Amino acid sequence: MSVEKYLKPSVINQIKRLDLRAQFVVKGFLHGLHASPFHGFSVEFSEHRKYSHGDDLKDIDWQVFAKTDKYYVKKFESETNITGYLVMDLSQSMGYTYRQELSKFDYAVCLAAALAYLMVSQQDPVGMVTFNEKIRQSLAPRSKRTQLPNILSLLSKLEPNGTTDFENSLGQLSAMLKTRSLVMIFSDFLVDEEQTMNALYRLRHGGHDVILFHVLDEAEVNFPFNGMFNMRDPETNEELKVDADGIKAEYIEKINEFRDEMAKQCRQSGIDYVPLDTSMQFDKALLEYLLSRRARG
Amino acid sequence: MTWANLGILGVGGVLLAVPVILHFMMKAKPKDIVFPALRFLKEKDISNRSRMRLRHFLLLMLRCLLIGLVAIALAGPSVASNDFGNWLTLAGIGFSTLLVGAVLLLAFFRSSKNWLLIGILSVLMIGHLGYGAFAYSKLQGPESGQLIGDDQAPIAALIVIDTSPRMEYRNENQTRMEKAKEMATWLVGQFPVDSQVCVMATENDQPFFSVDVAAANRRIETLEVNYSGATIPKTMLEGIQLLSKASQERKEVYVITDMTEMSWAGDSPGQLVRLLDKYKETSLFVIDVGVENATNFALTQLTLSSAEISARQKLVVSTEIQRIGGAAQRSISMTIEKHDPPLPVVRNDVSVFPTAAMDPQTLTKDIRADSSEKAKFTFSQPLEFGTYHGKVKIEGQDALDVDNERFFTIRVGDVKRTLIVHPAHDDDKHPSHVNPIVLQSMLAPREKVKAGTNRYDAITMTQEKFVNEADQIGVNDFNAIFLLDPLPLDNAMWQRLEGFVNSGGGLGIFLGRNASDGGVGHESFRTEAAQRILTGSLEQQWYNQEADLFLSPKELIHPIFSLVRISPTNVAWNRFPIFVHWGIDPDGNEKLPTQTLLSFGNREPAVIERVIGSGRVLVMTTPVTEYGNASGKGTWWNALFAGNRKPAWMLVSGMVSHLVQSDAGSLNIEVGQPASFGNDLRKFPESYQVFTPRPDRRPTEIHTLDGGRIRFRFTDYPGHYRMKGRNNREVLMRGFSANLQESTTNLTRITPDKLDAYLGPERYQLAKQQSEIQRQQGATRRGQEFFPLAMLMAMVVMAVEYLMSNRFYKS
Repeated sequence: MSVEKYLKPSVINQIKRLDLRAQFVVKGFLHGLHASPFHGFSVEFSEHRKYSHGDDLKDIDWQVFAKTDKYYVKKFESETNITGYLVMDLSQSMGYTYRQELSKFDYAVCLAAALAYLMVSQQDPVGMVTFNEKIRQSLAPRSKRTQLPNILSLLSKLEPNGTTDFENSLGQLSAMLKTRSLVMIFSDFLVDEEQTMNALYRLRHGGHDVILFHVLDEAEVNFPFNGMFNMRDPETNEELKVDADGIKAEYIEKINEFRDEMAKQCRQSGIDYVPLDTSMQFDKALLEYLLSRRARG
Repeated sequence: MTWANLGILGVGGVLLAVPVILHFMMKAKPKDIVFPALRFLKEKDISNRSRMRLRHFLLLMLRCLLIGLVAIALAGPSVASNDFGNWLTLAGIGFSTLLVGAVLLLAFFRSSKNWLLIGILSVLMIGHLGYGAFAYSKLQGPESGQLIGDDQAPIAALIVIDTSPRMEYRNENQTRMEKAKEMATWLVGQFPVDSQVCVMATENDQPFFSVDVAAANRRIETLEVNYSGATIPKTMLEGIQLLSKASQERKEVYVITDMTEMSWAGDSPGQLVRLLDKYKETSLFVIDVGVENATNFALTQLTLSSAEISARQKLVVSTEIQRIGGAAQRSISMTIEKHDPPLPVVRNDVSVFPTAAMDPQTLTKDIRADSSEKAKFTFSQPLEFGTYHGKVKIEGQDALDVDNERFFTIRVGDVKRTLIVHPAHDDDKHPSHVNPIVLQSMLAPREKVKAGTNRYDAITMTQEKFVNEADQIGVNDFNAIFLLDPLPLDNAMWQRLEGFVNSGGGLGIFLGRNASDGGVGHESFRTEAAQRILTGSLEQQWYNQEADLFLSPKELIHPIFSLVRISPTNVAWNRFPIFVHWGIDPDGNEKLPTQTLLSFGNREPAVIERVIGSGRVLVMTTPVTEYGNASGKGTWWNALFAGNRKPAWMLVSGMVSHLVQSDAGSLNIEVGQPASFGNDLRKFPESYQVFTPRPDRRPTEIHTLDGGRIRFRFTDYPGHYRMKGRNNREVLMRGFSANLQESTTNLTRITPDKLDAYLGPERYQLAKQQSEIQRQQGATRRGQEFFPLAMLMAMVVMAVEYLMSNRFYKS
């Protein structure tokens, strides 16, 4: 069986250990990547390697050549300098799923773990921040291999709880970041859009690269309900009687509008926006990360 | 509209509250779920909530409608069959309006409104409401109102049974009459207890309610075919009048008939329709006991060469045998009864008639399908003076026997004496323009006189001699007097002529130019005495030089047309123009029965008959005996005897015969007509026993009336009527024959359109079988039930409710 199956949330749910989950997701992803249109793009885990025929000349590390009189390609030298922050939304709404194997939060955790695995494997320093109304926990970025167990340990202990205050939390985060970083935010963004975008603008304004992993439950995207429902918001406990059939089309239209608007505003601000739902494979998110990283390379 | 179980409607009304209570008290609980993206739903919540309310409302309405419909169905609503169509339309419109209304509401409350659809639905809704109002107004209109309800309530019923001779038609070994009686007995048996029943036959009898069911059944049992009865519409008119006085609310009329057109024809259709309209609550059933494709043999009316002949004169009897159905061969026989004294007599309460016949004759005819064949018998045996009865009969089997026999009666007697009075010759060189020889040869042809077979003696005489020697001549010894183009007569002479007529004589007056005094009637033709004879005052002459005025006979029933009607279509009257004729201003004397027998094309009378006492006068307003080449006569008055004389000869001959045989017309009459004969007590007995054709009926005694006549009115059966009198112990037989009219046995069935014209379209129910009658009775008494329709609608509503609720509460 191909390891690509581990990109499916339903399959990865069968693996309980988060480290294994991360490992399988990344392996599956990379396995698929070799056969992908990005053929030729590979990930080496050494800082320098000898120049071989066909390498781009601009990748040659001339300083090493001066010292050693040998051609070394400095391909990943600059990449190792990317400091990544996995920013997890801990709000209550993230714990929701209607009919999927993984809740939004589980999905985000898996994804975050996989990214951490990937980054640590590339010796990128990776840190982690969790928030709801404010920043709850943080782990300073490191590129050592011991960082991965720390991150996974933290991730496995997380529980979605409370409401989200993006403006406050991201403000705090912005203050925390010293160097130019890649901030990867995992959230459902079911809060006030304007405040969210303002917070993101500020983060972006601070010179950080931002990738938004907009994780929604599959039910929130497709609204698979029929009949009458009394629906309750888990964060505000607001209730609403809904004729699902009558409102379905309008809801889907509305949620798509919301995601499109987010995408549009992110695009305008230079923020990478990755719309996800819990039924999607993980590779989309990982690919987005690698594309972003390569663009910065 | 009536309800079989009105209580259930009340219960249904109470039950209607159930869905309402459930709607408010036990609203279906929506499923609780967590949904983080609730804020996207909130914005759409208001319209969604209105739609939800609408859907709930629709569901509530549907549930109420469902219970309502079931309650209505169980309550058993019925409407009059006549109104069922309107009610059905109204129910359909109502149902459709509800559906259109529901769709309109849904369309209106949709977030994305389709105004075109809403517009179309609104127009539809308005149309529905308008049409619904129209249908409702029709139900409230005057057309509606048939009584319905409990089908076991006592009723007042009128059963009209067609007893025409056509009902003797035999099919499947049963006459229509027997079948009608069977049906009537069954009907009476299944009427609710305490119903009142009136059984009427089409025989001019008075309607009455039978005392009880047994009496009604006895009445039905005793009904017989009637040969001179009334039509069904006439009988119904009288019966319905009686029915309307009955105390029972429900009234039903049953007409049992073979559906032949003749049973209905003859009366103005409007009268019955109006009466039926007036009594709307009366239900009408027409029960058809007839046969669709009847077959029949029939004899047409007999034509006798003369009903009154002299001893040596031969008798010619002509008829036609008609066939409806396939080609067939039949024998036709003619017999004349031999006198067989003392018959007829009554033995053991049964009349015994002579049976021996003289010189019976038989012809065999091949008759093609649906056609007729002529038959002619000649009887030339010398007969003694007296009255003889005979008949012509089709031998063999036939479905309808009654028209297979035709009866006739002849009288053999002395030669009749006639007097022809003509104006005096001007002189020998200039003969009168009136030629008596034409009439004389008509009455007493020279060769017949020579052979001694002439029926009449004809004496001619100038008017001058007639006036001067009236006393010596013995006017009253003549059977008939003919005045050809008479000159002015004084009042005494007119009165003498009236006396002659009054005592039984026949007077024929053929008016011509001699009655003129400068273009207008001579004074002597305008006196009161003259008017009593001439039926009016001789006013003016009508001129027509265009040769486009002709005799215009309408009906050829009267005896003067007895010869003309043998071949009526062969007489081209338009070849004999009338140029001048007299106009008579009627005196309007109602005591002297007067009728116009023949008119000209301008509707002025040509031949008028007046009955005075025992005799009659025929006045013709244009002469019939002009010399075509007479000099000095001025213009021709007519061309009746120019060229082919036969038509005019047939007409005048008929008139002459009618006048001479003053009562020979009564020898052969139609069933139902009274027979009337002169009865000179010097020659005949004062009273007679009349033996009718039915042996089981006792003879009736009749006596001589004032005016020297005997009359017998009860000629209800076709056949021979024998009048037996005694004159000084000597038995004297007279008599006559009565025959059915040819049309009486016309088996043509009435068309639905014509039946509609008599009864009103959709006013009656037509049935053949008892089961059909029962069903229609049920439908009429209970009305048309709405149960199946209401249940169907309830099922549709239930299905819609199921679909809607399933959709709304899909988990």
